[in-house]
Order: sequence, then structure tokens, then C-alpha cells
Amino acid sequence: MGKIVGGFMVPHDPIMFQAPEAPAPEVRQRMWAAFDSCAERLAKLDATAVVIVGADHYFNFGTECLPQYLIATGDVDGPMDVMPGLKRQQIPDHQALATHIAAHGHEHGFDWAVARAFTVDHAVAIPDRLIVDPVRKLGQTIGTIPVYIASGVDPYISMKRAIALGGAIRAAVEAAPENERVVVIGSGGISHWVGLPEMGRVNEAFDHEIMTYACEGNLAAMASLTDDYILTHGGNGGMEIRQWAVVMGALPGAKGEIIDYEAVPEWVTGLGFVQILN
Amino acid sequence: MSRNVMERLMHKLCVDRVVKQRFKEDIEGLLSRYKLDDAEKDMLRHMDIPAMQAHGVNPMLTLGFWFENASDPSPMAYMKALQKPAGAVTKQG
Repeated sequence: MGKIVGGFMVPHDPIMFQAPEAPAPEVRQRMWAAFDSCAERLAKLDATAVVIVGADHYFNFGTECLPQYLIATGDVDGPMDVMPGLKRQQIPDHQALATHIAAHGHEHGFDWAVARAFTVDHAVAIPDRLIVDPVRKLGQTIGTIPVYIASGVDPYISMKRAIALGGAIRAAVEAAPENERVVVIGSGGISHWVGLPEMGRVNEAFDHEIMTYACEGNLAAMASLTDDYILTHGGNGGMEIRQWAVVMGALPGAKGEIIDYEAVPEWVTGLGFVQILN
Repeated sequence: MSRNVMERLMHKLCVDRVVKQRFKEDIEGLLSRYKLDDAEKDMLRHMDIPAMQAHGVNPMLTLGFWFENASDPSPMAYMKALQKPAGAVTKQG
């Protein structure tokens, strides 16, 4: 029997790699250090697997197939969108647990799309490289299980379904045959306008609203957020709070704490780091 | 008019090297393979980002398309292109 032992919500901002020196030194150092803090906190959880929930950016999936939610059950590498400081590499996986989560979902009303061999994009690669890899280098064996949900390309997965999907992950982990210790990482957000004339705008009020819901474990408030509200106040990139909703759904009732936050227009987003404590 | 076909080709122009190369070397031949009307072809010929977005193309895709195919793929050049009125680039030729 496995257990969800914790969760994180973190950004996956590619501009950090493409223009690392754009923000003021104090700001950029704090944001990189926030990833380090996440890694230190992950190391204390003695995890055997991380489920990293990302968003497709109309990159992994084209018009031929746009899954509502997908799990990678086989070999994993990435990112496909390489950038300075983020080269493509093999990513340690956990095929047995990923396959179990998919199968458990299929038996309980969650028809996962499955990727049997998968190249992730930066949504999964950035937290894997900055948070999980440092813990592996300490000697811990942690397999990464990528999950992609439809929060970048319509039709979007609903907030309620994203929360329920987190619950499905939790139920599957708790039904796992091995004593897995699983951490769920929601990768994305918070407010940002991707590819739009407002690109570079950050809405701190929206960001704090979402972080407050996360820290309170306020599933009802998250579930009630409409797409119109999110698009207006958080931008099209703000739809990625669905990844946060998955984490909250996997840890119902759990409280969180903000590791760090900064609105960084130079990196076109509000960068929020939250740990959910189980 | 088909946003979906536009998005199909633009996704390939983000991830498929062969298609990207043909876009540079034989754009008319490439465009002829897709069910696009003249206005849509003009948007692609002139990389008219505002017109694409007004047409309903996903902004993540217009951004990726620009980064992968523009002669100046910088974010600043993208933002400059984005500020022009839809159709302005196409009309200027």
C-alpha cells in the first residue's frame, strides 16, 4: 500500500533559462533558490516516486490528438524543447507504478490516455531537473511519472475534473502493491499571458488568491473558479492552476505553506512556490 | 476558413524539421498541400500574428510558430509583430 507523502506547486518558466539575467539579481537569485528549497524539502520526504503534472503547450500534442489527461507509463526523456542549461536527457521513470495508476483509473472511471514512451516538454523537465535530480544526486532513487492535462489547449479539462483526477491518483497510490512514497508536483502558473499582447503582465492579486486556496486546502474555492474568471485575471497561462488543483485533489484537507513568491514581469509570470504538507 | 487546419500546419511548423525547412524553401508548395483559403495563406506567408489570433489560433501556437520560423525569433520582435493591427502585415505585403 502506497501513500501520498506531500506535494509541491512550482513554476516551469522557460524564460528563466532563456533570459536568466533579466530580473534584478536579488530576485533571480531568490527564484533559483526557491527551487533549491523545494529539492531540500523533497529530500526529507524519502519519496520513491514523483508524479509531475504539467500542461501541454500545443507542443507535445497536435490537432490530431488532444488528450484531457495523459500518463506516461514507459520510458521517459526530455525536454523536447531544449534550451540553454536544459539539455535533453533520459529521465528515471517508475513504470510499474505509472502502469498501476493508469490501470486503477481505467477500473474506476478515469480513462487515462497512455504514453508508452514519451518525451516531455519543459513543463515536466524543469521541475524534474531542478527539484528531483538534486535529490537523486544525494543517492535517493526516485522515479518520475509525467502527467499532462489539458490546460493550454481547448477543450480544457474542468477544474472539478482536475481535482477528481488528483483523487484518482491518490486512490491508485493507496491501492499500490508496494509501499510507495509518492510526491505530487503541480507544475505551472500562476498568472501569465502567453503569446498575447498582454505578455509580461502579472496579476499579483490573482496569484495570492490561488496560493491562499492552496495553503488552506480550499478545494471548493478552486473548483468554483470559472474559465472566464481565470482567463480574465490570470491569463491563458493562468489556466495552469489546474495542475495545482490536481495536487490539492491528491491531498484533500492538507494545508500548505508558501516557500516563496515574486511577480517577475521579466520572466512573464508570477512565480509561486508552495509546499503541501500531508 | 479553418482554424483547425491552420493550427495543424502551425503545430508541424513548431515540431517538424522537414516542414520547417519546406516553409523556408518552398512555402507555396507547402501551403498548397493544406485546405487553406487565400486569407489564411496570407497570414502564414506574412507571419501575421494578430490576424492569426483574430482567426482563433491558440496564442501558444503563434508564439511557438514565431520562435521556430521567424527570421528574428526574439520575444521583442514577436511583441512588435503582435502590436500591429490584424491584417496590417498582410496588406503591406
